[in-house]
Amino acid sequence: MKTEALIDFLARGAGPAPRAVAARRLLPAAAAGAAVSVLLVMVLMGPVPAPLFATPAPWIKLSYAALLALATGWMAARLGRPVSRLGAPVLATLVIAVAMAALGLVAWLATPAQARPAAVLGHSWFACPWNVLGLSLPALVAALWALRGLAPTRPRRAGLAAGLFAGALGAAGYALGCREESTVFIALWYSLGIAMSGLLGALIAPHALRW
Amino acid sequence: MTTASLPIGLPRTHTPPARRVGCASGTIPAPQPAGHACAMGNEPADELEALVRPLWLRAQAGDESAYRKALSAIAGRLRSYLRRRMQGTPDDVEDLVQETLFALHLQRGTYDPGLPVSAWALAIARHKLADHWRRRGRREDLHQALDDTPESLIASTPASDGGTGDIDRLLDALPEAQRAAILLTKLEGLSVSEAAARARVSESALKVQVHRGLKRLASLLRS
Repeated sequence: MKTEALIDFLARGAGPAPRAVAARRLLPAAAAGAAVSVLLVMVLMGPVPAPLFATPAPWIKLSYAALLALATGWMAARLGRPVSRLGAPVLATLVIAVAMAALGLVAWLATPAQARPAAVLGHSWFACPWNVLGLSLPALVAALWALRGLAPTRPRRAGLAAGLFAGALGAAGYALGCREESTVFIALWYSLGIAMSGLLGALIAPHALRW
Repeated sequence: MTTASLPIGLPRTHTPPARRVGCASGTIPAPQPAGHACAMGNEPADELEALVRPLWLRAQAGDESAYRKALSAIAGRLRSYLRRRMQGTPDDVEDLVQETLFALHLQRGTYDPGLPVSAWALAIARHKLADHWRRRGRREDLHQALDDTPESLIASTPASDGGTGDIDRLLDALPEAQRAAILLTKLEGLSVSEAAARARVSESALKVQVHRGLKRLASLLRS
């Protein structure tokens, strides 16, 4: 086949380019991933008791996860488009992560010395990151699927962004079932779970993001 | 060794234009586009960009003849880009040009008007080239010495012969709905609404079938 003939074939009736392709793929993926993780939490752990919502803990978890999902989703959308700039979404992600770490540090300093181990470890420090990672898997599959339909020419970074995005969504789901109340705990173990999901995304991306 | 970038031993007078400096186009690409810091986006606008950008923006808005011209101009650049990097397998160059054109078309929604068209297109070409090498298991090609002809002298190579794929033949391998959608819009030249009426599906369903069909064609072309 002559290349000119192919160009003719591609251009004929092509119409305008589709718009907002990244949002159109990532938003349904995010919705599906978050829905599955909330469903899993409800079935496997049950919702946290309602009075807990009168304390700041679940709101800190949910806002942290939601803000991080926005920033990393933005990053993933950029990485779905060749040569797009990453500065702003990377900066936003870092600001959110550092703010959460600072909040955790302030809470740790405000905690009396003898109460600190309990604030750091809670009663589920070991399970928390793994639960966040497990709950992020549906969103990770969905986010990688979404990116595959775009044009990720930087697969490692795209996988990292997809993993962090999925991790944040998994953490949001986990927040609905997790009874830990310490801010230090959230800053440490939620962040670790989200980072693990990011790492997993980066590891499998070269295989998962072929297009 | 991606650092061995500039053609050593090249007479000074043959130094490529200044726009190449610091982001050598003669760089041997890494298998993964790890050389991102040296992406083509760092280059100042060049002649191709000046020609293609207005055409491309009109094409994105739906101007078919601008789209055809833009793709032709880009194809010339792709050909010289790929030819330089595929000196061991020159027969595959045109196939890869066509594969990249397919990808540009299928992914044209990912073009961001704030960025150079040529940088966007070459990033996709680089990705397709890395994928090609990975599939062929020809990693050794990455280490082949490159001809030291400045790229400016071989820019925009006309197509000498076609690729080996044949769309008419490949169309038969598509699922019926995709094949029908492509036949109606691409070969009979019907508008989307006419084609949708003929195929008795909604316009959006028809567009989806065309897109999926082209995607399938591109992957058939690859194998």
